[in-house]
Amino acid sequence: MTETIGLWVAALFTIGIYSFLYKENPLYRLAEHLVIGISLGYFIVISYMRVLEPRLIEPISNGEQGAWLLLIPAILGILYITRFFPKVAWLSRYPMAFLMGAGMGVGFPLSMKAQVLRQLEASLIPLYKTGMSWEIVLGNVVMVLGTLAALIYFFFSKPHKGLFFGTGSKIGIWVIMVGFGATFGFTVMGRISLLIGRIQFLLGDWLHIIK
Amino acid sequence: MNIWEKMLNLDRRWIFLLIGIACVVPFFTPLGLPILPSEEVISIYDYIEELGPDNAIFVGFDFDPGTAAENQPMGIAVLRHAFSRNIPVFITAVTPMGQGLAAMAIDELTDETRADFFSFVSWSEWSAIRDQGITERAEIEEAWIAEGNLLPERSRGFIFEGRDFAHLGYLPVFNLVILGMSTSIVSQYPTDVAGNSVEEMPMYQEHKSLREIDLAVTNAGSAACTWWIIYGREKIGLPVAFGVTAVMATDYYIYIQSGQIIGQMGGLRGAAEYEVLLLDNDYTSEPGKAFIGMDVQNIAHLLIIFLVILGNIAFFAGGFNKKTKLKGRR
Amino acid sequence: MKRSIPLAIVMVGGILFIIQYFIPHQHSQTLFDYYTEWAPIVGAFALVLGVGSLSRLHSHKIKRKAKNWQYSYAVLIPLFAVPFFALLMPESLGGGLMESMGGTRTTQGVFDFAYLNVQIPIQSTMFSLLAFYIASAAFRAFRAKSALATVLLLAAIIVMLGQVPIGELIGKWFPKIGLWILRYPNLGAKRAIGLGVGFGILATQLKIIFGVERNWLGGAGE
Repeated sequence: MTETIGLWVAALFTIGIYSFLYKENPLYRLAEHLVIGISLGYFIVISYMRVLEPRLIEPISNGEQGAWLLLIPAILGILYITRFFPKVAWLSRYPMAFLMGAGMGVGFPLSMKAQVLRQLEASLIPLYKTGMSWEIVLGNVVMVLGTLAALIYFFFSKPHKGLFFGTGSKIGIWVIMVGFGATFGFTVMGRISLLIGRIQFLLGDWLHIIK
Repeated sequence: MNIWEKMLNLDRRWIFLLIGIACVVPFFTPLGLPILPSEEVISIYDYIEELGPDNAIFVGFDFDPGTAAENQPMGIAVLRHAFSRNIPVFITAVTPMGQGLAAMAIDELTDETRADFFSFVSWSEWSAIRDQGITERAEIEEAWIAEGNLLPERSRGFIFEGRDFAHLGYLPVFNLVILGMSTSIVSQYPTDVAGNSVEEMPMYQEHKSLREIDLAVTNAGSAACTWWIIYGREKIGLPVAFGVTAVMATDYYIYIQSGQIIGQMGGLRGAAEYEVLLLDNDYTSEPGKAFIGMDVQNIAHLLIIFLVILGNIAFFAGGFNKKTKLKGRR
Repeated sequence: MKRSIPLAIVMVGGILFIIQYFIPHQHSQTLFDYYTEWAPIVGAFALVLGVGSLSRLHSHKIKRKAKNWQYSYAVLIPLFAVPFFALLMPESLGGGLMESMGGTRTTQGVFDFAYLNVQIPIQSTMFSLLAFYIASAAFRAFRAKSALATVLLLAAIIVMLGQVPIGELIGKWFPKIGLWILRYPNLGAKRAIGLGVGFGILATQLKIIFGVERNWLGGAGE
């Protein structure tokens, strides 16, 4: 019974939101507001269940060894509340500083490796090896030169003139446009997929007229 | 106002209607065209195909309901593959909503009214077997059947909570959680979402940190998937695979070519490719949601391309590229 | 106290953990383990900021009877009702977590109900509205006005056809060229952008660690 009511409620909201395409209306506005309230309410519950209860409250109330140390992050966390009291709002910077400083520190060498060094390394590849088909060889040339050219295009400290910077940046923008074209094509696919997902809900789960 | 101008000033609600129809009608007139899996997806499939009960993987439901239409079928397909091969799966989420979506995926796979379901055995149900000290996968199943539990006729097999999967759920600052799990999973997740002790789980006893994990598949709707590369792959060499939304997919080919991820499912197409691999290899008997959706996608893509071309014809034929300024509503 | 100590915490923490990466000694590893264990606990409390500012915003709206103030109840009521019912009926703690979270398929608590039948449909439907807007934009905005724009459109069309099975029926080479575009020229462009972003991230991280970038302190007093 609840399941059936649930399906109808879900369908009502789905159709209600689509009615926005015709005209803005109260049902859409209601949905817009509900989604914020519920998601944050859900967030509170899950955060309590997954973090505060098992990792803070239980170890301390069970008197686990060294659990009192957990009071340090707890107090730091509670300091966030001071944000709402202008006189002591500066205290909320402490938990932020705790998360940020060390977070940046652990992230720095790893981001350098993942997003810069490995990427540079992957650009330095042999363009041709025996047995490679022509489209792969051509692809490799396009990719390696394309990366270089697109980097030149983004390099604004030098005027885009002359053979290297001028031609380089011109090739760069062409490569970038092909890249954006691919992204646009995929974006269309993605957006349509989301719509298809909702239609599958309406026609399948709700109305049972498709599988 | 000439015909071209009239055309370009068409009320956009007609176009909305058109795309709506293009996404509804094909459900009733399926084309059933084949989908050929790409290397990017096959490599994930092949990798998981090599794993078994002695290995373990992570599957991240790192998305919100907004992109679930694309990401959920990927998550379900990978879970199905792992459950079929009895590979222990730790399930996590970067967002709170992802935790619920992961639970929905498990529920869908264990729903007895659906084809090819798995018979779910909860952590408490097989406690007597654990108490006898039995932790090996095959022995657990043997003992469970010996207790008089027969595998239902259409079931694809049992899945034992704590042996075949653990739903660990959401944690905030997940990049640091990944780092923490490189030392110990239980330091981050002392319990699973149902409150069961992770430490007692046989799958945890055999795989205590990310260093003992063979693969992490992140199904993501945001750039959070790159955390698995930065903090997992680069820190401890954890193999990572992506299942990402189509909008993000083109950005991550760089990680495939650099070898930082073993493969990628991009959008609904990627999910459909994985479903085809499961179908072809008899892990399911029916095509999945993504596969059916791709059939509809055919017509929608053609319509969009038609609209682009038509819009351009009207624009150039009406001479709006040169002199005449287009008037009216846009 | 108000600015220097937080800035010092950031600098010390940052430098310490960069060093920790290069010298993973047992002591530094212990420190690292404490940090990763504590961080999610601190992080979870950040939720207070969201809940606090949202409730303040909407209760003000109701008090001032601002435009559309009635809808503010649609934010505030579920914001507190969802946790309340979760507390009241913890066995239904779901969000789809029915059987896999210790519940049963037949009993849906308010918590499950709100998640499954309100939150999920609303959020996913709102995202799917974009399909309509992109279709409209395809007709009205994407013009091959220049050679560069034409290249963008052609690449998009080839990739779009390459991704759907019908593309292969139209031209056998569509999927092949589509994949080739994704794997080579697209990759070149995205790598250049990725490297730019990567360097940007590194620079920002260093700027924050060394206190050059201080925006995160916010306007909470000097």
